[in-house]
Amino acid sequence: MEKMGMHCGRMLAAHMKNDEKIYVLDGDLADSNGAICVHQQHPERFIMAGIAEQSMVSVAAGMASVQLKPWVFSFAAFLCYRAYDQIRIGLSQAKMNVKLVGSHAGGFTGRNGQTHAAINDIAVMASLPNIHIWSPACKGDLAYAMDRMLKDEHPTYLRLPREPLGDLPSEPKEWYWLKPARRVTLVATGLSVHIALQVHKLLSKMNMEVGVINVNKIVPLPESLLHSINALCTEIIVIEDHYQVGGLASMLSIHRLSCRIHAKGWGMNFTGQSGDYEEILHHYDLNPHRICQEVLTLN
Amino acid sequence: MTTNAEEVAEIRDIIVDSLVRCGGGHFGGALSVTDILWVLYKRILRLDRSAFDRHDRIILSKGHACIAQYAILAKLGYFDLEELERYAQFNSLLEGHPDMLKTPGIDFSSGSLGQGLSIGLGMAMGLAKARRDVWVIMGDGECQEGQVWEAVQLAERYKRGNLKAVVDYNKYQEYGWFFDPECNKEPVEKLGRKFESFGWKVWDVDGHDHLQLQDTFKMVAEYQEGPCVVLAHTIKGKGYALIERDPIRFHCGELSEEEQRGITAQKIPVKL
Repeated sequence: MEKMGMHCGRMLAAHMKNDEKIYVLDGDLADSNGAICVHQQHPERFIMAGIAEQSMVSVAAGMASVQLKPWVFSFAAFLCYRAYDQIRIGLSQAKMNVKLVGSHAGGFTGRNGQTHAAINDIAVMASLPNIHIWSPACKGDLAYAMDRMLKDEHPTYLRLPREPLGDLPSEPKEWYWLKPARRVTLVATGLSVHIALQVHKLLSKMNMEVGVINVNKIVPLPESLLHSINALCTEIIVIEDHYQVGGLASMLSIHRLSCRIHAKGWGMNFTGQSGDYEEILHHYDLNPHRICQEVLTLN
Repeated sequence: MTTNAEEVAEIRDIIVDSLVRCGGGHFGGALSVTDILWVLYKRILRLDRSAFDRHDRIILSKGHACIAQYAILAKLGYFDLEELERYAQFNSLLEGHPDMLKTPGIDFSSGSLGQGLSIGLGMAMGLAKARRDVWVIMGDGECQEGQVWEAVQLAERYKRGNLKAVVDYNKYQEYGWFFDPECNKEPVEKLGRKFESFGWKVWDVDGHDHLQLQDTFKMVAEYQEGPCVVLAHTIKGKGYALIERDPIRFHCGELSEEEQRGITAQKIPVKL
């Protein structure tokens, strides 16, 4: 399986054949984040902006102001944190059509460790007006998200994990039921959708059936998602590769849903750590067995 | 018919009046950058806004001096001069710092220092085929921001000849190290040499001498081989003795009622 960033770079390069206004800026991580695919096919529209994320984001804002369509690639941590003020001024306040592709998002950073973890990236990006956020859980979700992003003019953050993600059986949309609706439902986004499916499997073995929702577009949250949860669920367990504060669970909670919301993300004592996916998953808060036990204890 | 001298003097009066009316503001930097902006708008920039790729861009990266730009835009007819009376008021067309979504003629928002040169570089990349120039007006204090030098490096690497920086080089910043004689130097020492060391072409000019400014800007506009910067040596608070005398107080300050009454008597003619 390939990383989501590579899928993104490859699909974007294909789209660029039909739209000469698309440019890609990269913060010297093209071979890790997928922008290399664009460099290989469209070198004249690939700008290596250097290890200078603040300037890179502002350059993209300037390009968008003269009707180009820039896509900016870096690791999520360096985009969302290092260039936060530039995103605030140049994209959020100015409403510039810049697409930010943050790879290596979340707490599973492989050998990189805590400096490269972006565990509150949703919190900081969702707190900026006008920024849309997509968080695909598979290649199909990603293709759907990119298709929408290519057609709209919203400044957007595309959240991609470092881990390769397997395919999902459903047709991609803004959100969808991966397992049939139940009174108790797991809600997840991005990589954590695959954790939710593991939890679902464990619970099924214990004769507890829960629903599973995959949320691809997390800002703004789709109205139909909120209606559906309100109509069908009494308990939702939000599983996310993000701190419990400020992510999907927090965003759902401000909508005054009629159900109870249980947040299962990283605890605030976790700053990130080197290690492979399974090791980190086993030792920390997103361990499917641990989540499964907590779901079983819900009243 | 008004002369250049009368027009610029009127702009300076509008700046001071507007800042007094709203309770104070950035007298020093607005008055130091006035001549730079006026010469650019009146003598250099292509202002045909009938299509996005027909006009040059100007970004006032030192956005706190925007009252000077607003006064000139009003004189050029972008909006009514009366708008200046509502500068920085609630629901005004004119925000306290430039807002491209509110004010006609503002090519990009600014206010958080150090971002304008990068934005200008992006615009210059997008306008290269159209052969339009992008002028970015920065403060020398602003050049302390690391992002400025990120943009300086990238602009040289991509040889963006239609990117033109101008530094309003008044040698002051808001507070700086003025209290410490050993550290109290210009905001950025050897500024020209720093730009040159990054491969930029550098011009020095008297930032209040309109003929020098005009001649230099014309040369700069013709130079398209790579990025270039004009260091426009200016006086903070230019035009009013009271303000020129106290650049720290008037970086962002206010006038007493007595000073307001006497301010016009303190005017200093500007060389045109």
